[in-house]
Amino acid sequence: MKVKLSIKNAVAALSIALFSLSMSAKAGVVYDYIKMDNEILIATDANWAPFSYINDAGEMEGFDVDVGREIAKRMGVEVRFITPDWGVITAGNWNMRWDVSVGSMTPTATRSEVLNFPAVYYYTPASFAVHVDSPVTTLAGLNGKNICTTASSTWEMYLEGNLDMLNAPAFTYKVTPGTITALTDGHTCLDDTRLGAGVRNDGIIDSVPMIQGAIEDGYPIKFLGDPAFYEPLSVATDKGNNDPELDAELARVIAEMQKDYTLTMLSMKWFKNADGSSNDYTIAY
Amino acid sequence: MANNIKAQTNSEASPIISLKGVSKWYDDFQALKNIDLEVKLKEKIVICGPSGSGKSTLIRCLNRLEAHQEGEIHITGIELHERMKDIDTVRQDIGMVFQSFNLFPHLTVLENCMAGPNWVRGIDEKEAKERAMALLKQVKIPEQADKYPEQLSGGQQQRVAIARSLCMQPKVMLFDEPTSALDPEMVSEVLDTMVELAKSGMTMICVTHEMGFAKQVADRIIFMDEGEIVEQNSPEEFFNNPQNDRTKAFLDQVLT
Amino acid sequence: MFVDTVVEDKALHKPAFLIGLSVTVLAIFFALNLTNTIFGEFLSPVIGNPEESGFFGRLAVSFVLTILFVGNLLLISFARLKIQILIVWIELFFLFLAFAYSFDLEIAYIFQNDFICSTESARAKLCTPSKIGLMISKGLFTTIYISAVSIAIATVIAIVGAVAKLSNNGFAYAISSFYTSLFRGLPLLLQIYLIYMGLPQLGFMIDAIPSGIAALSLCYGAYMTEIFRAGIQSIPKGQWEASRALGFKFGLILRKIILPQSIPIIVPPTGNQFIAMLKDSSLVSVLGIWELMFLAKKLGAKDFNHLEMLLTAAMIYWLLTIILEMIQARIESKYKQKT
Repeated sequence: MKVKLSIKNAVAALSIALFSLSMSAKAGVVYDYIKMDNEILIATDANWAPFSYINDAGEMEGFDVDVGREIAKRMGVEVRFITPDWGVITAGNWNMRWDVSVGSMTPTATRSEVLNFPAVYYYTPASFAVHVDSPVTTLAGLNGKNICTTASSTWEMYLEGNLDMLNAPAFTYKVTPGTITALTDGHTCLDDTRLGAGVRNDGIIDSVPMIQGAIEDGYPIKFLGDPAFYEPLSVATDKGNNDPELDAELARVIAEMQKDYTLTMLSMKWFKNADGSSNDYTIAY
Repeated sequence: MANNIKAQTNSEASPIISLKGVSKWYDDFQALKNIDLEVKLKEKIVICGPSGSGKSTLIRCLNRLEAHQEGEIHITGIELHERMKDIDTVRQDIGMVFQSFNLFPHLTVLENCMAGPNWVRGIDEKEAKERAMALLKQVKIPEQADKYPEQLSGGQQQRVAIARSLCMQPKVMLFDEPTSALDPEMVSEVLDTMVELAKSGMTMICVTHEMGFAKQVADRIIFMDEGEIVEQNSPEEFFNNPQNDRTKAFLDQVLT
Repeated sequence: MFVDTVVEDKALHKPAFLIGLSVTVLAIFFALNLTNTIFGEFLSPVIGNPEESGFFGRLAVSFVLTILFVGNLLLISFARLKIQILIVWIELFFLFLAFAYSFDLEIAYIFQNDFICSTESARAKLCTPSKIGLMISKGLFTTIYISAVSIAIATVIAIVGAVAKLSNNGFAYAISSFYTSLFRGLPLLLQIYLIYMGLPQLGFMIDAIPSGIAALSLCYGAYMTEIFRAGIQSIPKGQWEASRALGFKFGLILRKIILPQSIPIIVPPTGNQFIAMLKDSSLVSVLGIWELMFLAKKLGAKDFNHLEMLLTAAMIYWLLTIILEMIQARIESKYKQKT
């Protein structure tokens, strides 16, 4: 009897401890912690030049990184970047490992089940691309073909015909692929396309700046048709640690940066065309 | 015959070892059948018998390396049973020498001898070393103290094993076929050491086939077969006037 | 391996084998058709324009390659054993380099540094010599650090696990065998995700590096439990009996008698585990830890030079493994001398 009782007590104590621990990580205190530590932790996948990548000094660099730095500056706190895999960021349940994602994430209905999207800060066009020697000349020519893209991305959703973007410009599904090759590392798609038209895939879909960068680096690929759709890109916070105060602050800062053209300047700085002209992606077309 | 070695047994002294109705099974096979035995202080017992007769099992039950299932075993007045808490203290008082020496190969000869006193008897290193050296001298290999066991001959290793047991200052010494694994030319050096030990008055129980040693040292010889004590007697009676047919047959084999 | 004392003639020195080999190699080269490669160009004085050389060109190229290949084998076969091994190693290594070279890579990219150190003096101290410098100073360091901590923790887990597995205690055995079964039964990547994403659900928040170390320790602890168990079991029963007969208690026997003797049996497979772990630690890159694999992937992604950086990482891992194997061989021979 005595033993039983003590085990019961132990179980009770343990579950209370676990419960209180998990509670402490859930209440809307993220903003308080940012202020208390005087530091905001920003998650961004380092796989995407020119959005966010690691330079040769081992530091983070890119459009998203600059936006992140500016957000922190305007919130009056220090900034630290964390670089988990894209899939780990979009899965939600961050448990305060980091506070905000500034990683060009498109708000979708599916993602909004685990994440909040307090502020859209720019829009990028997504486009199809094929090998320069590809016989395909129109978007319709890609119907029934093998298209490669990054797994758990909006591009994959587009290919699947279930892109549930929120607050997005209108778009139509222009391609119905026969096979979708979804890779964890979207860069591998580009390398596969380089092998030749129809070798590992017949075409890819990715963001225009990304494809532009690859073309400039000598990849034998070309854009196919007009951009398929424009996706709004937002900062994101964790729904599990829902903190309206933080979301409001982020919305305020982004609005401010739009108003004084800071975002436009950053976009012009990072998104250049082959002819040297710059793109302002802060406006939806 | 060096009868002076043999114990001047005091008939009033209580036995240091006593077994009553001890039986042991390995699954269905009964290895020991209803063994009764008493050993007095300073007595020297030799146990012999054909292989598989249970003699090794019996001696291994005496420090509970094997468990008996029926009967009682008392050592220095303490009963051995499966729920006892102080088996380690009892074992410290019982030295055991194995057929295959079982020295610790990663320790030097000296460290082998110091280990017991130093680790479990709580004797400081200096004193343990002195004691170990004294006993290595007694078994006549002090010059090998810093070598590792594998560098020694079989006879030397067995003498170290004896010294290692004696370092614990045991009340009883058990020998389980100490010369069976040795090359023939090394048997005598080990037996000589055992004879010396017997002279010093140690209580000894030896399982051995060395009948010369038995004649010289034993107060009593026990003959076992098929898990039973068939016959026990003084060496003179045992060798000259065996009672049982099985004893006679065994002696015919080992003495020719 | 046991080598018999009777020497047989080398197969390469038997005409029948030599001819058979030559024909086979010729057939393979012919089938591969290397006419339009560098070899064809090399032979163009003889066969003319490789594109138009047709059957004759193809045969000529195959024939020359076959002579080179078989002649090389024949020459090596006359050398002493150690020289033979060395030459074959070097030749295979150059073949590997040629393989990598054939990717048409920008090798200079690996040593390139886009970051201009002098422009911002405050950041100058962060300057690294090149991409490869960054991979070594940051990535390799993190990889070794994570692996070393993990192997240390795994060793402790393995000792406890092995003792539990050998004990008569039902709970200890059940827990230990459940643990080894589970962690040997799940892919390491899955374990990393389970620990990183699963544990916070229970309220235990752990960061990326501790998560990675925990996953590696638990996984390799499970494998090493079996190594330690085998090591402990390989010690003859007589050692336990002699220790018991002297009145030693269980912990003392394990610490002073059994484990020291198991070390020579445990060390070689543990070294193998460490080498394997060093490479498996690349899996924690998914958590955003800046170790070798992570940096290789991300640094290459920036300018779309993936293969360059992956090859660099490959060479670093390989070199590291060779060094570790040498250290392991030394440790092994040291224990061999002692016992």
